[in-house]
Amino acid sequence: MSVEFRPTRISMLPKRGQISWFEILSLSISILLIIPGIAPNFQDVILLSFLFGGLALAWNISGGYAGLISFGHSAFFGVGAYTSTILLVNYGVSPWIGVWIGALFSAVLGSVLALICARLRGPFFILSTLAFAEVVRIGALNWSSLTGGPEGLSIMPTPLLTNMVFASKTTYAALMLTYLVLVYFVTKSLEASRFGYYLLAIRDNEDAASAAGVNPLAGKTAALALSAALTGVGGSLFAQYFLYLDPTYMISPELSFQFALLPAVGGLGTAVGPVLGSFLITPLSELLRSHLGNAAAGLHLVIYSFSLVIVMLYFPTGVAGALNRVSHWRPFS
Amino acid sequence: MSALLQVNNIRRAFRTTLAIDDVSFDVQPGELLGLIGPNGAGKSTLFNLIAGVLPSTSGQIIFDGKRVTGWKSHDIARIGVGRTFQIPKPYRQLSVVENVMLSAFLREKSLAGARRLAEATLVDVGLTDYIEAPASSLSVGLLKRLEVARALAMGPKLVLFDEIVAGLTPTEVGAMTKFVAALPSRGITVIWVEHVLYAIMKTATRMLVINRGKLIAEGAPAAIARHPAVVKAYLGEEMDIA
Repeated sequence: MSVEFRPTRISMLPKRGQISWFEILSLSISILLIIPGIAPNFQDVILLSFLFGGLALAWNISGGYAGLISFGHSAFFGVGAYTSTILLVNYGVSPWIGVWIGALFSAVLGSVLALICARLRGPFFILSTLAFAEVVRIGALNWSSLTGGPEGLSIMPTPLLTNMVFASKTTYAALMLTYLVLVYFVTKSLEASRFGYYLLAIRDNEDAASAAGVNPLAGKTAALALSAALTGVGGSLFAQYFLYLDPTYMISPELSFQFALLPAVGGLGTAVGPVLGSFLITPLSELLRSHLGNAAAGLHLVIYSFSLVIVMLYFPTGVAGALNRVSHWRPFS
Repeated sequence: MSALLQVNNIRRAFRTTLAIDDVSFDVQPGELLGLIGPNGAGKSTLFNLIAGVLPSTSGQIIFDGKRVTGWKSHDIARIGVGRTFQIPKPYRQLSVVENVMLSAFLREKSLAGARRLAEATLVDVGLTDYIEAPASSLSVGLLKRLEVARALAMGPKLVLFDEIVAGLTPTEVGAMTKFVAALPSRGITVIWVEHVLYAIMKTATRMLVINRGKLIAEGAPAAIARHPAVVKAYLGEEMDIA
């Protein structure tokens, strides 16, 4: 009698469009991490890893699935942050509402970027996104009456639920984890949808996609709008945590590179990749900065860059790609 | 019976060169039209004009009663024109069945339904063993079959096949030829560009020959094989197709 192999209903390692034990376990650990007292010295690093995990996932929707490598996502991050903050500071609108208005503005800006630049291919598109964000940054710097210009904007630090300002880092950590889970859920739903397949087709071969009835420009525009909206939400949350924002940091190329880097390290076009990338890189960059930042100026950047080169050389498909190889590893066959 | 496709005085210039120069022809439903000509004659350009990949410089194209001149290729695909690419263009990071699902979405919106359609199409073209394989792992011969599967999964009224047997073994050519010959009986009209003449001459119900962007002959395969202009421009000598 032969033994029939039956695959379990939930697989161990992540699969496109399905939930795996790996993801359930990761979520459980993440929830444990925000319980007060479990990791008191690392709360900053943990909540930033959540936030940047969500931002990396948001970037990955257009960059990983639709193949639109953007170095201009800090523009959406900034527009989201400025919208909710200006609404709160000048008009007393609660950030719980402002976040979504910011997301809407970011989405509109994302569509504009797509309609102008998505016809460009490869490096030309990438350069145009970089220039696009610079235009937004310079605009924000000079429109002082609205944005406060180079002096930036501050949110009053009094803890108040309706203002989305909290006294405890635990609450912020829970907020950031909620954001991460939201973007993760959007990503997984995308993977299991027709629209998600359209994006993969556009990324892999635009001509073939068009021959199959897929409108490449419409697909790219929708992907960038969705990605920009979710990035805008992350920007608002960032502003609510640091209570201060200025164009030079919020809409910087460095930040744009960071959004692109985390999915690249973790695994482009996968759902777990950007989250793993964030949990690898965000703590590394934060810890290096806090431990080496004063001792030897710039040394943390050298170590940081060197680690990146190692990852890019030996894990070109990212951490998620390495995980995938492990799942196909059959040492005894 | 009205024509499924009408091409009227179509022209396409690349800078000063006329790649397609005043070409007109009709295709009736259920035809298997062979399109031949020397390299650089404009066969692929003509396909790209019909499929909407290139805009025409002048002239008009009418498909299924609609004037589709100037339409985008995805809009033309949606009204029932499937095509293959001479150099296969698979979605490399997707599996074979996912490649075909993307075409099947035109008929079936749900993932599960599109998958069923795609699997049936893959069985049809003889890719049963490769359904779950990554498209990047297929050899050229198998990629050609994948191209055919993708065009057919759309449920097209008209398919444009661009050199789907070039580079295949004689056995594979025989199987593919038989497969294509059966398509009109399934309600699919075919325009087939091919250099493997014994395959196309045996199968086509009618032939078009173009040279230097102009239509130089039109007729039954047996007549085309002896047509003086065709012999001079392309065949080199009269062809025995019996």
